[in-house]
Amino acid sequence: MFPRREVTRGTLVYAFQRLVLISFTAVVVSSIVFIGVHQLPGNAFASEHRATAGTEAALLHHYHLDLPWPQQYVLWLEGLAHGDLGESLVNLGTQITPLLLREVKVSVTLGLAAVLVTIGVGMSLGVLAAIRQNTWVDYTASTAAVIGYSVPSFVWAFLLILLTVSGFYAWTGGAIYEDIGWGKIEQIPVPALALGLPYAAIVARLTRASMLEVIRQDYVRTAWAKGLSARVVILRHALRNALIPVATILGPLVTGIITGSVVIEYLFGIPGLGQEFVTSILSRDYNIVIGVFTFYAALVGLANLTVDLLYPLLDPRIRY
Amino acid sequence: MNLTTEFGNAAGTVRAVDGISFEMDPGETLGIVGESGSGKSMTALSILNLVPEPGRISGGQILVNNQDVVSMTSSELLEYRGGDVAMIFQDPMTSLNPVLRVGFQIEEAMRAHSRFDKRQAKERVIPLLQRVRIPSPQQRAKDYPHQFSGGMRQRAMIAMGLANEPSLLIADEPTTALDVTVQAQILELLKDLNRELGTAIILISHNVAVISSLCTRVMVMYAGRVVESGPTRQVFDHPEHPYTWSLLRSVPRVDERRHERLISIEGMPPDLSRLPSGCKFHPRCHFKVDRCSHEEPPLAEVAAEQEARCWVLMRNVSSQAQALKT
Repeated sequence: MFPRREVTRGTLVYAFQRLVLISFTAVVVSSIVFIGVHQLPGNAFASEHRATAGTEAALLHHYHLDLPWPQQYVLWLEGLAHGDLGESLVNLGTQITPLLLREVKVSVTLGLAAVLVTIGVGMSLGVLAAIRQNTWVDYTASTAAVIGYSVPSFVWAFLLILLTVSGFYAWTGGAIYEDIGWGKIEQIPVPALALGLPYAAIVARLTRASMLEVIRQDYVRTAWAKGLSARVVILRHALRNALIPVATILGPLVTGIITGSVVIEYLFGIPGLGQEFVTSILSRDYNIVIGVFTFYAALVGLANLTVDLLYPLLDPRIRY
Repeated sequence: MNLTTEFGNAAGTVRAVDGISFEMDPGETLGIVGESGSGKSMTALSILNLVPEPGRISGGQILVNNQDVVSMTSSELLEYRGGDVAMIFQDPMTSLNPVLRVGFQIEEAMRAHSRFDKRQAKERVIPLLQRVRIPSPQQRAKDYPHQFSGGMRQRAMIAMGLANEPSLLIADEPTTALDVTVQAQILELLKDLNRELGTAIILISHNVAVISSLCTRVMVMYAGRVVESGPTRQVFDHPEHPYTWSLLRSVPRVDERRHERLISIEGMPPDLSRLPSGCKFHPRCHFKVDRCSHEEPPLAEVAAEQEARCWVLMRNVSSQAQALKT
């Protein structure tokens, strides 16, 4: 479907500039969070299990928390330059960078699965609705889309858990047993659906509108006049062009999926960045909070860059 | 063929093409001329059985190589479209797919049909581009439409149309969107192709000059009907239908009648959903008689191979009466 296109020098230069910008953004975001966190009253060790004065002083010293914050900030920046995000405040000795790298892999897997749901379900529904415009197929798909994006993903999560986990178990007498969590491949689709469905609905609406527009274009008539089959006309000639406006919302959409994963991961007990984000805040593990924000900033930047690099693949008139 | 194409909506049914009938010999060039909305393009799209929704061919048959297009199965239609009959459209700027390479779009036309195999299809792209005189076709095949000028895009469209060596090429206003020098080149190209490959051509235009430069036979359409037809020279030199006559008087000519004023045809083309009774042209006609308003004239032979749909006929109108209307 996508003829090969050569990577131009311009594209590489553009990608490099964007990468520099993304790193800069990540540093700025994490700096703001760093400064913010250090202005909070109390500290990570102020909990009901009171440490003795000596232990607390030793801990504060270990994490350089006894230094004035500008000095801590410089130390932290030095660490960041080496890719070192420091040490967990709760679990002494746990290095944050490898921990978050492990978790980001989980989150990216879930995110990609959700994007797949979004594009797969959204585009198929949109195309179907468009080529069967004003028939029951169109009305069903359009109604489904309205419901899809009116229901937030955490509600989808509850409904899907109810359906797959307890539902399947009850209806099949335990023959089909769907387990939430992470680690097995069959545990991916349900949270991915919950995360992707609202966005799939948006993509479906957009694809439908865009297809209806494109189907009336002269070049689609040319394709019919050439004697191409309906499948080729719809997929190669119409959909390829209809995707261009749909791609414009992929950027904000991917960002939405990343932030949405915070709730979904927590609900499904998935050990990803989103879950870490929640637990680190609740346990006041400030160093991890800062680290998570740094990763999120980079992730959103990279996701948007990927979407932007897709454009010239879809539309040859776009060159960087 | 005897063709009727209708468009139905809630407000009623409109006949865009009403009982048109014509025959074409292999290698012939036929011009269809008429105002906007006279049914020229719908006739062309009907020949490909490609009338847009909610339109449909409601009656008649279209025989191409002894096969009826109207009753073809969908797979026969796919082989027929772009195979036996190819079509090129008015606006080359929008008629090529912007996201596919020009060479690929030509190759694809052959891949969709069984006349050439995959390897032949690939190999034929460059000669085809060469055939329509696109310079450095080797590189140009890899270009996208936006890298082509308007004239070159229309050449590429023609190359695409010729890809499967069709017996008939329908060109719907192929030069309207192009500037005058490019128009002449495209017409020249079509003329050469007709002469060298023997491809029959239907040229649709509102431009009398374009038709007369290419077509040996012409059909004048008004309100979905043929009002006059015959050999191009004959019809344009001795128009018998007042509509043809007015159409010709509205075109400037370089060679003769320099002293004559150009006239426009008064009034508007009729609304197809509220056609007048009798002859459909009578409300705009200078030479109408009583009979015209209540009885529609048949298409009748008026000279050798020339037919006209008129009760009066221009030969019966004195030259003084004609002069008064110019």
